[in-house]
Amino acid sequence: MIRDITLGQFFPGNSVIHRLDPRMKIILTVVFIVFIFLAESAVSYALMFLAVVLLLIISKLPLKPVLRGIKPIMFIIVFTAVINIFWTKGDHLLVEWKFIHIYAEGLLFAFYMVLRIVCLITGTSILLTYTTSPINLTDGIEQLLAPLKKIKLPVHEFSMMMSIALRFIPTLIEETDKIMNAQKARGADFTSGSLLRRAKALIPVLIPLFVSSIRRADDLATAMECRCYRGGSGRTRMKSLKYKALDFIFLFITVLMCAGVVLINIYLPVLVV
Amino acid sequence: MAELTLKDVSYIYSAGTPFEKKALDNVNISFKSGVITGLIGHTGSGKSTLVQLLNGLLEPTEGTILLDGEDIWKNPKDITSVRFKVGLVMQYPEYQLFEETVRKDIAYGPTNMKLEKEEIEKRVSEAAFFCGITDEYFDKSPFDLSGGQKRRVAIAGVMAMKPGILILDEPAAGLDPIGREEILGGIRTFQRQTGTTVIIVSHSMEDMAVYCDEIVVMNKASVYMQGKTSDIFAQSDKLIEVGLDVPQITHLFKKMRSMGLNVPENVFTVDSAIKATLLALEKRGGAR
Amino acid sequence: MSEAFIKVENVCFSYKDDNDEDIPVLKNVSFEIQKGEFVVVLGHNGSGKSTLAKLLNMILAPASGKIVIDGLDITSDQMTDDEVYSVRQRIGMVFQNPDNQLVSSVVEEDVAFGPENLGVEPEEIRKRVDGALAEVGMTEFARHSPAQLSGGQKQRVAIAGIIAMLPECIVFDEATSMLDPSGRKDVMRAIEKLNKEKGITVIHITHNMNEAVNADRVIVINEGHVCMNNKPKAVFSNVSKLHQIGLDVPQVTELIYELKKYGITLPSDIIDIDEGAEALASLFG
Repeated sequence: MIRDITLGQFFPGNSVIHRLDPRMKIILTVVFIVFIFLAESAVSYALMFLAVVLLLIISKLPLKPVLRGIKPIMFIIVFTAVINIFWTKGDHLLVEWKFIHIYAEGLLFAFYMVLRIVCLITGTSILLTYTTSPINLTDGIEQLLAPLKKIKLPVHEFSMMMSIALRFIPTLIEETDKIMNAQKARGADFTSGSLLRRAKALIPVLIPLFVSSIRRADDLATAMECRCYRGGSGRTRMKSLKYKALDFIFLFITVLMCAGVVLINIYLPVLVV
Repeated sequence: MAELTLKDVSYIYSAGTPFEKKALDNVNISFKSGVITGLIGHTGSGKSTLVQLLNGLLEPTEGTILLDGEDIWKNPKDITSVRFKVGLVMQYPEYQLFEETVRKDIAYGPTNMKLEKEEIEKRVSEAAFFCGITDEYFDKSPFDLSGGQKRRVAIAGVMAMKPGILILDEPAAGLDPIGREEILGGIRTFQRQTGTTVIIVSHSMEDMAVYCDEIVVMNKASVYMQGKTSDIFAQSDKLIEVGLDVPQITHLFKKMRSMGLNVPENVFTVDSAIKATLLALEKRGGAR
Repeated sequence: MSEAFIKVENVCFSYKDDNDEDIPVLKNVSFEIQKGEFVVVLGHNGSGKSTLAKLLNMILAPASGKIVIDGLDITSDQMTDDEVYSVRQRIGMVFQNPDNQLVSSVVEEDVAFGPENLGVEPEEIRKRVDGALAEVGMTEFARHSPAQLSGGQKQRVAIAGIIAMLPECIVFDEATSMLDPSGRKDVMRAIEKLNKEKGITVIHITHNMNEAVNADRVIVINEGHVCMNNKPKAVFSNVSKLHQIGLDVPQVTELIYELKKYGITLPSDIIDIDEGAEALASLFG
């Protein structure tokens, strides 16, 4: 059933990571990405891996779904590994068969690259999507981008659109399900036939969905007007975001790690310990 | 006339996950053919699941559903043909209309059945007739109609498939008294003239009392009561016990009996109430 | 009696159809509503009752006529933006479809939406949100997503969202018509509580006559006209007239009306079960 698709990967919780300010989490994520791309030596890779494991532990997330998050990028991981294994040249030849040459350096590079990608994906998703509710994330983005309002960018409108979209995703899924069932009851067949036929069979679902979405949008606009909505100006927020000491501690640690990696790159530039 | 029977049917949502929920628990029931059966029960009692099982939108977790003695899931590839025999009108069906004209929309089901052109046309006009849609609407866009008219076009779309069994989920929800009468009256005429087995799901006890011959009451994933409409409403206490309501007029007669008046128990429509009161007064040699 | 809270005078309104022709919806509608009243507006689909609701808080403007709210003529050309928003804050609206009026994917954030738009201080919003959710009995769902709620619960959240704006009057535009009986009961209870305990003026638009029985006053609209405007008892005693315009009466009232046709003497203003049973019992005397 279409309803089973989980949207947004948010796992509610109350860990230290969950409690961080969403704005700070966005900043931390950026710093963390920089950190990952700075890492160039064995020690810094180890540090990077350690950081992700630590993140996972203090976020108290279940391990399985986090690992499952790697699945969609499996292709990229395998592709990267293959490229590195077969195309890296080095001094230590391990296998030689016809035109295939595999060097120890290739294996090592492949390992580091895969580690890098896995850490990048799990690290950022633990920091952002898994521990931040979509609504907080939208708020965070809005407030971080607030300065852009000065150059007339519709930051508030953009985030309002995002949060309304989030609100209506479950409603639309439910509605799609209902309309599909109604058309199935009238003999519609969505599962057999050529691709073209299947696409055609969706018309009786898409048109009603479109019509009802427009009606919903219209209703919602009226309801918002009735609740005195007039754009971002003069609007207050119930939950104003406030940085806490915790946020700065995390920022400090992350920046420190970045600096550490730069130092390691200079003073310990070895690939194998 | 088609027979629909459920044998030991259970249905579990999201089986094997923490959200597992038993929507139907070992249900055994046979729907009487050639009459209008009302399916009642409060939200979450399993009614909607039952309805979706009946026409093969859901597959039972356990048990079998027999249509004229044959398991509808015997050949899963053939389930579409079951859906032609067991027509289902979902809640707020006006939201499923999509064609350019009323005529084409009603013809959608019959066209999926791959019928001859003449046959389709015949069915479209028959179904339209029962739903009170006159010729002048045939070439209009369904989106230009009023809410009640749209609803009737959608119902006609299922009737046009000439199912042996017609199931309607809350066909009159949200309509005013005239709209309700138009739709439910049309369904009754259709049933009486074609002999189709009709199952109506509704929350309105007043409507059920007037339009249904039989009543099935669902509670907590099982069948709670089944019987003639008059017999079911005569047991108003049992209905109230599971959080269902009975028509106001039934409450009135209950109140009168508790005041010691000799009036019958099985009063559930205004018509029967008038007769019962007149009769009771006559017996008393009462005030005329 | 002092000046009425809402005064509608000779209001006309028409929609334009595809051919640009005027389709009249409201014709010379006039009525008054006092502060703290519970008024039910009855009428069948398409009678113009929903249009009326949208006129009261300036979502639509009448073609002619005057609407005065607490002494302020909201149909005048000189209404400033601030005055418009103040009218919308004082006259809240709850609509038919519970799904199409919730803005946020968290219940409490949705309730906060109105006060946020009004620029209320954060601590005060928090207080109002908690209060409003308690008022409608939805406190335990504060952190839920509307998608997890039933229709009746969503509708109560929508009501909380209006209460948090501290309105003086709430218009319910067929707010119960898409709900199941238990959802409807919960919502009706919430509405009645607001009226009784907080003194909020309620205008409840419906075609369910059972919801009109306990009202202070019933206004019946038919084909754009106000055709009755009286206490429920007086309105429902016009059984034949109501039937004519396609509305029902409570079954008790109907029974008594029919019995009277047989020459039985009964009072014609009976609308609830207890009175009905008493009256019928007296026949058996």
